[in-house]
Amino acid sequence: MKVAEGLKIINEGWIHKPKGFRVKFHKQTETCIEPGLSPPAEAAPFTSDVTAWRYAWKLWQSTLDEHKTGTPGALYNITVVDDQDQPARFYATGKFEMYNTKNIDGPIEPSPEKNGER
Amino acid sequence: MENEKEQFNFVQQNTETSVTEIPRLQLLGETMTYHGTEMALGLVLLIVGLLVVRWIDRGLRAGLLKLKLKSQYVMTVGNVVYVMLVAMVIMASAVQLGAKPLNILRLITIITLVITGLLIFLRPFLPSLPFKTGNTVKAGNLLGKVEAITFINTRLRTFDGKTFFVPNRQILNDIVINYNYTQTRRVKIDVNVRYDQDLLKAKRTLEAVMTADPRVKPKPGPMVYVLNLTKDCVELGGRCWIDNKDYWVARCDLQEKTKLRFDLEGIRFAYPQLDLHMKTVALPDDDLKSSKPNRLRDTDYNELNNELNNEEMI
Repeated sequence: MKVAEGLKIINEGWIHKPKGFRVKFHKQTETCIEPGLSPPAEAAPFTSDVTAWRYAWKLWQSTLDEHKTGTPGALYNITVVDDQDQPARFYATGKFEMYNTKNIDGPIEPSPEKNGER
Repeated sequence: MENEKEQFNFVQQNTETSVTEIPRLQLLGETMTYHGTEMALGLVLLIVGLLVVRWIDRGLRAGLLKLKLKSQYVMTVGNVVYVMLVAMVIMASAVQLGAKPLNILRLITIITLVITGLLIFLRPFLPSLPFKTGNTVKAGNLLGKVEAITFINTRLRTFDGKTFFVPNRQILNDIVINYNYTQTRRVKIDVNVRYDQDLLKAKRTLEAVMTADPRVKPKPGPMVYVLNLTKDCVELGGRCWIDNKDYWVARCDLQEKTKLRFDLEGIRFAYPQLDLHMKTVALPDDDLKSSKPNRLRDTDYNELNNELNNEEMI
């Protein structure tokens, strides 16, 4: 095996290198709870997971009042996903984390487990 | 007698001057009589035209900036339009003064051709600035973004919001770093770990942090080197390549992630420290029987102090 081939294997298999990050959440509207992404799928994602997690945390903090009262605008199950829509680990803890978890009927991805881990 | 002569000469000179001035004044008067209206109109046209051109120029640049075009395109388009409008105003006022439009057009064409030719031939010999508008440069002690370049100076906006007008002559005489000349930049993540830590684990962790970041280029890939074995720590140097536009944020993010990942992995950073080792002094047998066998007696301290003082005196 040539070194170039070996390096290709390493690049593909050693460490997952996402192309970008998005914040995924469920948003309370007037009538229902609908899933959402920020930035949206058609826009360029964040290139930094640090930025994405900080953005997610700020979204959570900014919608605490709506969450308490259950008014439209409340955000649930806020987490960071990569470009493949797979959950990203929080770089500070090395775990999958989710802010403001709430069980919602229907498919929820990523599904939170206990203590925000999975 | 001498005073009378001087007076006579003065009067004679004045008379001669007034005699030569009269035809000129008459000529001016005639010109003003016949062409005064055209001249005044031409002057008014020139002044008003230049004011209108300036107003149009400002509006055009503001409009183009609102379209979110690149500032260098806005500047180029603005300059071209401005020069054309000024030429038109000058032509119009010249025509008003009585010049033939065809002659003016020829004159402008000749001037344009001469300037273009001179620029083409002299371009290799003309000093040019090693950057363009929008580039991030370091000139002398100033680091910032180039906002505008004129014949005289360069407008540089530093990252703390100050605007500097640097003379081009000074820039040409100084070392300039243009951070946009190459697409990528190398990021250095240097960390110091303690000697009792797992070196290979530290290397792997640092490389993993860099590799996992989307902004880090796969080629050339990130590398971690053992830079130095100092008296306090092992110095590790992480090196990776990142796009210029992402450099600052990516560097800060990588530093943050490195610190947190090392904490998670239980790898302890080194910090400046000094280890003190208490040295016991061998005491005579009689002293061993005393109640403080492992401590220096007062007399020993005194002796040590005396020795130190003697050394200082020497």
